[in-house]
Amino acid sequence: MNYLDLSLTQVKSALDKGEITSQELVKLCFEQIEKTKDLNALNSTYFDLAMARAKEIDAKRAKGEDVGVLGGVPIVIKDNINMLGTKTTCSSKFLENFDSPYNATVTQKLLDAGAIIIGKANMDEFAMGSSNENSAFGAVKNPVDETRVPGGSSGGSAATVAAKQCFASLGTDTGGSIREPSSFCGVVGIKPTYGRVSRYGVVAFASSLDQVGALTRTVEDNATMLNVLAGADKMDMTASHTPVADNTSKLNDGVKGIKIGVAKQFYTEALSPEVRDNLQKALDWYKESGAELVEIDLPSLDTALAVYYVISSAEAASNLARFDGIRYGVRAKDYTDLVDLYFKSRTQGFGKEVKRRIMLGNYVLSSGYYDAFYRKAKRVQKVIRNEFLQAFEKCDVLISPTTASPAFKLGEKANDHVAMYLTDIFTVPINIAGVPALSMPCGKTSEGLPVGMQIIGKHFDEPTIYQVANAFEKAHKGGE
Amino acid sequence: MSITVDDVKKLAKLSRLEFTEEETQQFVKELEATLKQVEAINKVDVSGVDLLESTIDADTQLRPDVVVDSLPVEQIVLNAPDKKDGAFLVPITVAED
Repeated sequence: MNYLDLSLTQVKSALDKGEITSQELVKLCFEQIEKTKDLNALNSTYFDLAMARAKEIDAKRAKGEDVGVLGGVPIVIKDNINMLGTKTTCSSKFLENFDSPYNATVTQKLLDAGAIIIGKANMDEFAMGSSNENSAFGAVKNPVDETRVPGGSSGGSAATVAAKQCFASLGTDTGGSIREPSSFCGVVGIKPTYGRVSRYGVVAFASSLDQVGALTRTVEDNATMLNVLAGADKMDMTASHTPVADNTSKLNDGVKGIKIGVAKQFYTEALSPEVRDNLQKALDWYKESGAELVEIDLPSLDTALAVYYVISSAEAASNLARFDGIRYGVRAKDYTDLVDLYFKSRTQGFGKEVKRRIMLGNYVLSSGYYDAFYRKAKRVQKVIRNEFLQAFEKCDVLISPTTASPAFKLGEKANDHVAMYLTDIFTVPINIAGVPALSMPCGKTSEGLPVGMQIIGKHFDEPTIYQVANAFEKAHKGGE
Repeated sequence: MSITVDDVKKLAKLSRLEFTEEETQQFVKELEATLKQVEAINKVDVSGVDLLESTIDADTQLRPDVVVDSLPVEQIVLNAPDKKDGAFLVPITVAED
């Protein structure tokens, strides 16, 4: 048996039964990383650190001690999440040599649960992008088809799980950065409710929209990971005190009587025919399985992308103002005075897309445009959020495609930033409304490319999303 | 919404970024294209709608206002490009006499 083919849940069980040790598992993962290194999924790996930890966990397990729900399982985290003893680069030249000064809360939670963090995933610089082509350390290839992008910004996080280099990864999602790559690489990824997971120690992009979530090969694995990650945090005031429900509690409850909302605004002419067909088949299956399909109207949905680019860029411009070459990051060498040092350090350190967002953000925040853009966008955001709240009075979840088309070719949209932004048209409204959503594979195109289905839930109702997702996955195991 | 070269230059200054003439010209076009896309927000009637403060119903809590340990100084200056005795070093900003 190849243990790398197992899910996280299965491999944890194999570890618990003593069929394999954590040290053996870490070695297998590193062999696979070596075999698939052309994907460029990882910015850094920690073999010695991982082996030392695996040895400790193997010893604890042998003595019958509690090793945690992830005890001994190799996991990768995105390179914008701090972990002591490792660099946190955000795939930016600016932070190429940045040593993590402390553990992010999510890192600490993974370690407390017994996970072995074996590496950090490549990403679009500062999480800005939809193809992972904006990395200062090179693009990531999609393991399903290496001529295509893995999606972004958590492209490395999706590729590493799809390529079986690890059993789960962490990503971050501001406008689709977990779900779009999950869709393109054929894995399961969740963007939890805003505030469900702490952001402490995660490099900020747009603080009011950012969330950390897990990417896994199965729905059950994903629910297990969110159980570990979720919860309030005294270091992050926006981490919610709403009690964390057991995300695995309803996995096997089926979908009989579940009301699934279908909003026509998600099924536009922009959909590729094969995405449309696969989604229709999935909806038909839900109906045959006892779920009720409910027609939903989200009239302002098509404005969410515009709202997103105003709000996220405004926050990004403000968050990235701290990168001045004084306290951390790259300091330019050839400056005349302090202000010139700022100019030169930022100009040399940031990549093109990051500069584009800073410029847009400062534009919408600048005098004379603030009311017309930023304040207006925050009001439209409320309208969109209220439309979602009203929709959820009529249904338990909404189902949509994650993206209008499957993974596109490397380079295809690299010079057309408007086309690139449109990739996120179905994922950004979720962050704008703050609701949780999961992307999972629901079929393949004739070329064998994965098609992603997005299941959107009520605020803090991730367990119902997992229930609906797991029913589909169980019924479609091993095929389409 | 039309963007001028001067607009881009002003924004670049506010952003503490430098661009070549060619890059500035490109930004004029790109910003115009993005702002055209962003104009979609004007389609929505927001009369009587307040700003959204938080997407989730506010359930955040303030922590008690007590003194706790913060990160040690060594960790704070860990990544400073230039440092001395636990402080960040910066270029001279006031002229020496």
